[in-house]
Amino acid sequence: MNEPRETPPGARLLSFRLNGEDLSVATADHQTLLELLRYGLDRVGTKQGCDSGECGACTVLLDGRPVLACLTLAVQVEGRDVRTVEALAEREAAALLDAFDRHDAAQCGFCTPGVLMSAEALLMDKRRVVSQGEARAALSGNLCRCTGYTKILDAVVDASEKLVEAADRTREPAS
Amino acid sequence: MLPLLRTPVATPHTLEEALSLLAEPGARILAGGTDILPNLKRGLGSPSTLVSLHAVDALRGVSVGDAGLSIGAGTTLTQVATSGDVKRMAPSLAEAAESVASPQIRNMATLGGNVCLDTRCRWVNQSDFWRGALGGCLKSAGMNPEASFAQAGVCHVVPGGKRCVAAISADTVPVLIALDATARVASASGTHRLPLAELYVNDGVQNLALEPGEMLLGVDVPTHAGARRERYVKWRVRGSIDFPLVSAALRFDLDAGALTQARLVVGVLGARPKQVAVQKVALGRPLDQALATELAELAHRQCKPLENVPYEAGHRRHMLRVLVRRAIEALADEA
Amino acid sequence: MTSSDKWQLGGRHRKLGAMERMRGVARYTDDLRLPRMLHAKILRSPHAHARILSIDASRALGMPGVIAVITGSDMPTPYGVIPWTTDENALAIEKALYVGDGVACVAAESEELALRALKGIEVEYEVLPAYFDPEEALAAEETINPYARKGNLSKKVELEFGDVDAALHGAALVIEADYEFHGTTHGAIEPHCALAKVDADGLLTVWSATQVPHYLHRELAKVLETPARQIRVIQPPLGGAFGGKSEPFDLEFCVAKLSQITGRPVKLLYTREEVFYAHRGRHPMKMHYRVGFDASGKLLAVDAKTVLDGGAYSSFGLVTTYYSGQLLCAPYELGAYRFDSRRAYTNKPACGPKRGHGSVQPRFAMEVSLDKAAVELGIDPIDLRRKNAMGEDCLTVNELRVGSNGFLDCLAAVEEASGWKQRRAKLGFGHGLGVAGSTYISGTNYCIYPNDMPQAAVQITLDRSGRARIFSGASDIGQGSDTMLAVIAGEELGLPTEDIRVLSADTDLCPVDLGAYSSRITLMVGNACLEAARKLRKKVTQSVAKRWECSPKQVNLVAREAIDMHDPERRAPLVEAFQWAEADHGLLGEVGSYDTPKDRHGSYRGGAIGASPAYSFTAHVAEVKVDAETGEVGLVKIWCAHDCGTAISRGLVEGQIEGSCYMGAAEVVLESHGVNSEMGGLHHGPSLLDYRMPTTLDTPEIEALIVEAPDARGPHGAKEAGEGPLHSTIPAIVNAIYDAVGVRVDDLPVTPAKLVRALAAQAEKGGV
Repeated sequence: MNEPRETPPGARLLSFRLNGEDLSVATADHQTLLELLRYGLDRVGTKQGCDSGECGACTVLLDGRPVLACLTLAVQVEGRDVRTVEALAEREAAALLDAFDRHDAAQCGFCTPGVLMSAEALLMDKRRVVSQGEARAALSGNLCRCTGYTKILDAVVDASEKLVEAADRTREPAS
Repeated sequence: MLPLLRTPVATPHTLEEALSLLAEPGARILAGGTDILPNLKRGLGSPSTLVSLHAVDALRGVSVGDAGLSIGAGTTLTQVATSGDVKRMAPSLAEAAESVASPQIRNMATLGGNVCLDTRCRWVNQSDFWRGALGGCLKSAGMNPEASFAQAGVCHVVPGGKRCVAAISADTVPVLIALDATARVASASGTHRLPLAELYVNDGVQNLALEPGEMLLGVDVPTHAGARRERYVKWRVRGSIDFPLVSAALRFDLDAGALTQARLVVGVLGARPKQVAVQKVALGRPLDQALATELAELAHRQCKPLENVPYEAGHRRHMLRVLVRRAIEALADEA
Repeated sequence: MTSSDKWQLGGRHRKLGAMERMRGVARYTDDLRLPRMLHAKILRSPHAHARILSIDASRALGMPGVIAVITGSDMPTPYGVIPWTTDENALAIEKALYVGDGVACVAAESEELALRALKGIEVEYEVLPAYFDPEEALAAEETINPYARKGNLSKKVELEFGDVDAALHGAALVIEADYEFHGTTHGAIEPHCALAKVDADGLLTVWSATQVPHYLHRELAKVLETPARQIRVIQPPLGGAFGGKSEPFDLEFCVAKLSQITGRPVKLLYTREEVFYAHRGRHPMKMHYRVGFDASGKLLAVDAKTVLDGGAYSSFGLVTTYYSGQLLCAPYELGAYRFDSRRAYTNKPACGPKRGHGSVQPRFAMEVSLDKAAVELGIDPIDLRRKNAMGEDCLTVNELRVGSNGFLDCLAAVEEASGWKQRRAKLGFGHGLGVAGSTYISGTNYCIYPNDMPQAAVQITLDRSGRARIFSGASDIGQGSDTMLAVIAGEELGLPTEDIRVLSADTDLCPVDLGAYSSRITLMVGNACLEAARKLRKKVTQSVAKRWECSPKQVNLVAREAIDMHDPERRAPLVEAFQWAEADHGLLGEVGSYDTPKDRHGSYRGGAIGASPAYSFTAHVAEVKVDAETGEVGLVKIWCAHDCGTAISRGLVEGQIEGSCYMGAAEVVLESHGVNSEMGGLHHGPSLLDYRMPTTLDTPEIEALIVEAPDARGPHGAKEAGEGPLHSTIPAIVNAIYDAVGVRVDDLPVTPAKLVRALAAQAEKGGV
């Protein structure tokens, strides 16, 4: 069988920053960021739940703000900063992951990467202890089918408290 | 993955470039992408080119001038909702922007995109497969003229209807009309303004009075020096990730406690927003309980939701009456 | 050991693999890619009921990148998860039975090319009359399912225990009403996905987002006519299931067959829309109930007539039909009981098991009936339930043997936590509290296919590095069963959970397990695991005792150490103890298995269905605020007390309770799997926009209260927690709505429009 040798119209080189790394990759005009991340770059942490902007599983941070990768064309991130769940290992995010782990906030874990990105944006934005209400509002675009959100919300509030404690500690004079 | 057609995407950096690209037959704008991409993934529409505006900086921003607020079409709904100027000068617009869909969608979607949001109908906003199984309708046939639907000309909402009644579902539109906003529209041949209310025509297939090649640059919301009460209310059953099922924007200008202007604009009825004729009843009166009840009745009488979006039309009509009355009561209490 | 000796059982544990899942490292099925992998797509019927006259794929086969097309006739052997009702084909052969039924499948070089190729397959249909209402289907001439033996009657069960008519005749009060439970679906965020490849030696490997690898294994062997020994099924990390992935689906057969035909790996990922068509969700049920009481509120009899809307295939429907009656007989003594349940085929996506399989719907009818009786009799609804509660170690009216029973403690817990006594009378109009109770099985006594082999088995090995490996066929679908096994094994072996690897749900590596359904894993697989771990513990303590010259009984294994309980100063690192044991016994491996006791049910036909080794119990109180003008129901808070026997890992149990409450609440006020004649059999909105699952802003505060009534048949006394806590969520909310505004909506969901109509009708009545 012949494999197709189609060159997609509008194939182009795309340069952007992914999780702190400058990348140049080939993309096609009609390719979504979700497709590029998952199938082009094998960054499979960003999940596909509906592919229509209705579940939030594909939430990534674009220039620091949560957006849906399934409704973003790859070409739209040219020159911009994209952060996915794979980047959440250090600093604030480590506190978030730890809080989620301690609270059993992930059951099946499929929505969790998207939830974490929304939570990360909230904590970065507020940089203080957040309320349950603020957490509810910030996560209202992420559907979770397992948890009833209870432990997720607890974990987000807990992580914000831990971050404030850590920040206070670093501010204290080392004596 | 749902398929996107292999449509070329142009990424202009200036307005001029964008307008000249848009002049190509079949070209369509891609702004936030939160409306057009789900639609295209479901086979609604087949543009020749998508003109992405993400790099056109000139379209973004909120500015305040002598005449009032000026908001670029490329300003995101999050920016509109959180702008201090918008909150101060047009609080109901901030309220409406804040109530759209979900946080992620608001970070992506633009004011221009919301103003130009395609009409919605439960017989249309489905997959290609679903609409094919249905046999199509006025709108899906109108948007995909090449589709081989057996009953291309049928309306499932109004049996025998010849005009599509898909519903205008944009949250910001009723507010902008109530605030007497004007639209700035440009094409390769020039720029003109029109009252926002005139941007909409009564055809759900294409409810925008824009010529091919024309683009919304922004909206201007005039300032009001005197006392004003305004509010946006809507009914939806889910707290987020949901379109309005019925909505209303209210604006009341007062002088010494008496109304000098009154607007009540209702969304999610048919293809364009409905301006309820309230002036005659309202002018000269105080904003009070009696007026709340009367205007709510007026809205109920003049507005007849259709079975074009989910949830019973009769109840949506009932909700309109309740929401309008309660909104006016709350505004009266603010005084 | 006594329970006070437990060093990690009953505590909180970090969940095995959670960090990998959260950080996006774990690979779910769609995250897997294989070299030269093809992508498949299924062509689906646009008709609700149609004869397939011809299928011509020649144009598709000529399209670029298309490698193969298969149709139903390529896999003609019918299958069904229940061996008595094999009424499905991998792809439709003679007829398509609902909008979305699979008709043909394409494999192509990319997903896009596969999709494009679907348009190149010409199918000629003869459209047939379609039936969307179960009672109309039962009355129809036309038979929907070609394998059906009794027209459109998919299953009928009629059982009577005691003299119901006499008891109702003598009752002081009979609550009679019609209840309707609409259909709902699972809504796991991960869509179904499967990937298959065939090795050079013919071994077929199928990775699938399934919760029952064993049943998939069996059915693949049958339909593909390939020996089971030549098939390996692997369940990668799973993104939620809730019963929606508990039987084989068209995609698994298609990727396997296409992989056999093409010799290349083939993957198929459902679109969200296809997930709605695959469905197997909660059956819509129309229920007519007569419930009789004496003047003091004692339950005398229940007479239940139920029609189940089954959709196009049987799925688990035979069991659902039994469960719709059999699982109602606790936690109350019923006096006499009769049920008559009929399941109909209709031209809709097939219904099956959703969390709380078959018994959520009748529980709604029963608990609302109790609430009505409490009002009529002027008895506090909690007291009415207390009065009728059966105790522990008793026999239900349908002869199921109940062991431990913490129901009264559950009632007391929610009564206390919600401030029921102090607050309920004081809440104003529009604000209400409601209560309900329920019970559920911890696994079923009999396997889906008859056999004398164990229901669950676990193999554990220890190695000289101081680790344990647990091999288990059980499916961790997010509920945390891997962690549960690690806690049980670690408790015996002195290992913290992070020193334990659980290798699960791979038919090549692991012993057979029947899967994650019927709330069977904790009790059954937990018991098997406990047996294997105890055998290993014995070997290790013997070897330690030998070296310490003491009795093995005084050797304890705790937190990576062997300790002499008579001389706590004498300790050895566990790794050394394992090495001593390996030196003495050779490689350290043991197996444990579990089979159900067969004396827990009556001997009448069907008496085993609904029988379980142990039953969980639940009570809910819900608080709502109802806007009487708009009909909107605001869910304020749900308290749920659940008797799980023994909580092996508290956080996991709480998570199951919270998730259950959330899912049940959604079924009352938001969700509806609408397929009916209004849209000609088209799904009303097969998307996550139109199928409205609650967001954070729609979900009430949920307080999970763990009640422990250990059962002699559970591992350390443990019973289920995954499904029971859903049941009474629903009637508790419905009863709270009544408490708030004084009207009842007996047909779910409680939409604002229905509630406003009910209030208007009441106002009219009041005005007369």
